[in-house]
Amino acid sequence: MSFLSPLFLLGALAAAVPLALHLFHRRTEPVVPFAAMRYLRRTPVEDSRWRRFKELLLLALRVAAALLLALAFARPFLPQAAGALERAATLVLIDTSASLSAPGQLDRLRAIATDVIRSAPVGQSVGVVTFSQGADVIAPLSDDRAGALAAVTKLTLGAGATRYRSAFARAAEQLGNRPGRIVVVTDLQQSGWDAAGEGVLPERVDVELRPVPAPAGNLAVSALTVDSGDAVATIQSYAADGVTTQVAFAIDGHPIGTTPVTVPARGAMDVRVSLDGRQNGALSAAVVDRDGYVADNTRFALLDTNAAPSVLALSASGRDEEVFYLSRALSIGNDADVFRFRAIGSPAFSDLKPDDLATVDVLAILGTRGLDQRGRDLVAAYVRSGGGLLVSAGPQVDPVVVGRVLNGTTHSMMAARNAAPLGFAPDDSRHPVFRVFGGVGTLSSVSFTRSVLLTPGDRAEVIARYSDGSPALVEEQIGDGRVLMFGSDLNHEWNDFPVQPAFVPFVHEALRYLASARLAHREYLVGDLPGNIVPGIVAVGRTESPGAKRPGYPATNPPTPATQPPGTPATRRVAVNVDPREFDPAALTPDAFRAAVGRLRQAGASREAEAATEQADRQRLWQIALAVMVVGLVAEGALGRRLG
Amino acid sequence: MSAGGPKAGRDGRAGEQRFLDPAVLARLGTLELRARTIVEGFLSGLHRSPFRGFSVEFAEYRQYLPGDDLSTIDWKVYARSDRYYVKKFEEDTNLDCYLLLDVSASMGYGSRPSTMLGAARTAGERRGLSKLEYASMLAASLAYLMNRQRDAVGLTAFDERIVAMLPPSARTGHLHQVLLELERLRLGTGTNVAKPLQVLADGIAKRGMIVLISDLLDDPERVIDGIRPFRFRGTDVIVFHVLDRDELTFPFERATRFRDIEGSEEMMAVPSAVRAHYLAELNRATERFRQEFGSIGIDYRLIDTSEPLESALTAYLATRARTR
Repeated sequence: MSFLSPLFLLGALAAAVPLALHLFHRRTEPVVPFAAMRYLRRTPVEDSRWRRFKELLLLALRVAAALLLALAFARPFLPQAAGALERAATLVLIDTSASLSAPGQLDRLRAIATDVIRSAPVGQSVGVVTFSQGADVIAPLSDDRAGALAAVTKLTLGAGATRYRSAFARAAEQLGNRPGRIVVVTDLQQSGWDAAGEGVLPERVDVELRPVPAPAGNLAVSALTVDSGDAVATIQSYAADGVTTQVAFAIDGHPIGTTPVTVPARGAMDVRVSLDGRQNGALSAAVVDRDGYVADNTRFALLDTNAAPSVLALSASGRDEEVFYLSRALSIGNDADVFRFRAIGSPAFSDLKPDDLATVDVLAILGTRGLDQRGRDLVAAYVRSGGGLLVSAGPQVDPVVVGRVLNGTTHSMMAARNAAPLGFAPDDSRHPVFRVFGGVGTLSSVSFTRSVLLTPGDRAEVIARYSDGSPALVEEQIGDGRVLMFGSDLNHEWNDFPVQPAFVPFVHEALRYLASARLAHREYLVGDLPGNIVPGIVAVGRTESPGAKRPGYPATNPPTPATQPPGTPATRRVAVNVDPREFDPAALTPDAFRAAVGRLRQAGASREAEAATEQADRQRLWQIALAVMVVGLVAEGALGRRLG
Repeated sequence: MSAGGPKAGRDGRAGEQRFLDPAVLARLGTLELRARTIVEGFLSGLHRSPFRGFSVEFAEYRQYLPGDDLSTIDWKVYARSDRYYVKKFEEDTNLDCYLLLDVSASMGYGSRPSTMLGAARTAGERRGLSKLEYASMLAASLAYLMNRQRDAVGLTAFDERIVAMLPPSARTGHLHQVLLELERLRLGTGTNVAKPLQVLADGIAKRGMIVLISDLLDDPERVIDGIRPFRFRGTDVIVFHVLDRDELTFPFERATRFRDIEGSEEMMAVPSAVRAHYLAELNRATERFRQEFGSIGIDYRLIDTSEPLESALTAYLATRARTR
């Protein structure tokens, strides 16, 4: 049994009061001289032993009442996992993150772990857990020390970031109710405590730190981008002196150039190589770093041209004049920013299969004429699967049809209203769509002659309003997908917006914002994707798991070829790289680490206290104690009266 | 006159407000003053009672002798017999009354104030009227009353033995001696009613009246056996069984260690547990006294010391009225 407020147990000392009175003030009854003793003498005298027993019972009831009162105030509860006390254990937490990939560090890890296992006190269980982004049990807690040593021998490093909280959470899970110690073998990576998490640390467990020295310096490819037809690699040095090295670029594993570079001490340097017009493939840049971490020596990026957002405009016939201003606006920009735009008529749209929309980042509805039920279902499925949808009002858009399209997908509604001249301004200028305008800016010159009445749903947000206060642009998040509803047209029929300077940036930002959900998922860090994925180019496919609330991204590794085989249109390629925070070999001090462990212990304690409070509230043992105390007091009163 | 007893009792109870509380009387100066206050007040109440004229009673007719008061001639008898007869009214001036007062230690018991029933009694704590104080007032009142009737009154005080004794006398000044002796009385030791009664029985030569005032906390057999011989000799006996209110009701509340007032015996008791048995024992004893005494013509009165003395005086007068 545990207690929420154990200090109240001190109140149990009050039980000493009736005890002391019983022991030291037993003759409390008054002495009365009495004459008619002869009649009193004849009354049946209570058996002294029986009376003694009743007095002891009375004493027990009074003591019990005091104890129960103290017990009730101490808020007792029965811990759920309160089992028999198990043997103490030693759990070795081995850091296998990318920051342990310097030469010699793995051997050092193994040596320390081996030493800890061998020196563990006799009779203690021993287990081994490796951790980086996540934590894996490579040797469960047991008496099998040989097995633990063998697991340490087979130890391999990963490329994930250091996450101490998840490591301690797994360790606590492994230890359960056991007392013992956790021995952390780590390089004390500075970013190890950055990530938020649900780490806990039981109070009965000690933490012992066995640090592994970090390398003196490190060289890393911290970024790899494409700029004006060149591949640009940023080389970061964490060495105290300048470092000269070679940067080797490759596409799909084929070298395209090697560039020497001298990086200043604790500085960075960009290195370029021409792509010679190559627009597809998996680009990589690698440096030679013999002393630093191995995992960050290579970085990957995708050259796929389809990196530009793909926009599919839906109109009545798909003809150019129905989407003229939008298509022209999207064609403006440099190579990197260009949109892949395509228009489609309602009949052709209805013939599409869901997979055909897998590569579409944004679907823009500029006309609903001819959109049948199948087409409407296709739009709804697209949004639910995480696509971006722009719905623009206009003479070609029937609010009723829009309502049917969005029915069950969004609660925002569109309804016709009388024409009236209106202005237009963002409701929140910090919204990504309007951030480029720095406030109202040029949007104030847009003049609307007609508009529809937008009614935002419960979960929708109004991000722009007309001058009469009615919503002009409404956003609603639906699963992974986003919907933007614009209350006027984008084809210069109900407003002069398309001929205003603000139109192009507005359309670009709005569509990029809608596409961002998918575009952002083209580059990942190790650990972002499920599975044991190492840095490189990875093919991910969207699947709908039965019963799953959100689609998952099962990944395959190693990198798949740039050209996907037919029949896998929903599969996308993404680049996976090492978390840049792992590049810096600067380590935490042991004291800082222990302080963080202390905070974790406090957090764990408070979490345990919350859980204990919930348990106490649920079990209501204090109420039972009070009820028993009341019953005891009633019995005490009755017995006390009999005893006088 | 005997029929007047119960009625007088009822009148007495009805007029209890007239009577002074014994505790109030106890604060009056001397015992003589208290006795006079009691008796005069009592007698003034009797003017309306059937006891009027008890002391001048018709006894017999006898032939007229020269010098007799002509007003005493019964003219109706003269008319029937043609002889002069005079009514003879007998005044009981020859009755010897013996007041037997128990001064044993148990008579020193007096009630505590009711508010203190649940608390221990400490030294110096104010007590109510003790049984001896009450009995002394009763004896004084009876002596005063007897003296007023020109009866000879004697006093015998006893515990286990006779501690004081004044032979009966109707002389002027004897009452004062009796009252003085009552004032002097102090508590004795244990109770032995039979012994002084035996001594007294041996000393009484002629017919008289015995008034025993005691709490009778003695062996009932001894008490009854001690009194019975008086009755066999034709002596009228009235027994005032004086008990305190606490002894009659046993109102104690919390567990109490009762110590025998006449000894060192202690007894732990829970009043609530023993009250019923105690009262049953007391009632059994009083009932036995009532039956045993009643069977031999002894008037037995259970007196509560919290009640006015007038009821006891009434009982005495009822018995006295029967005495020839």
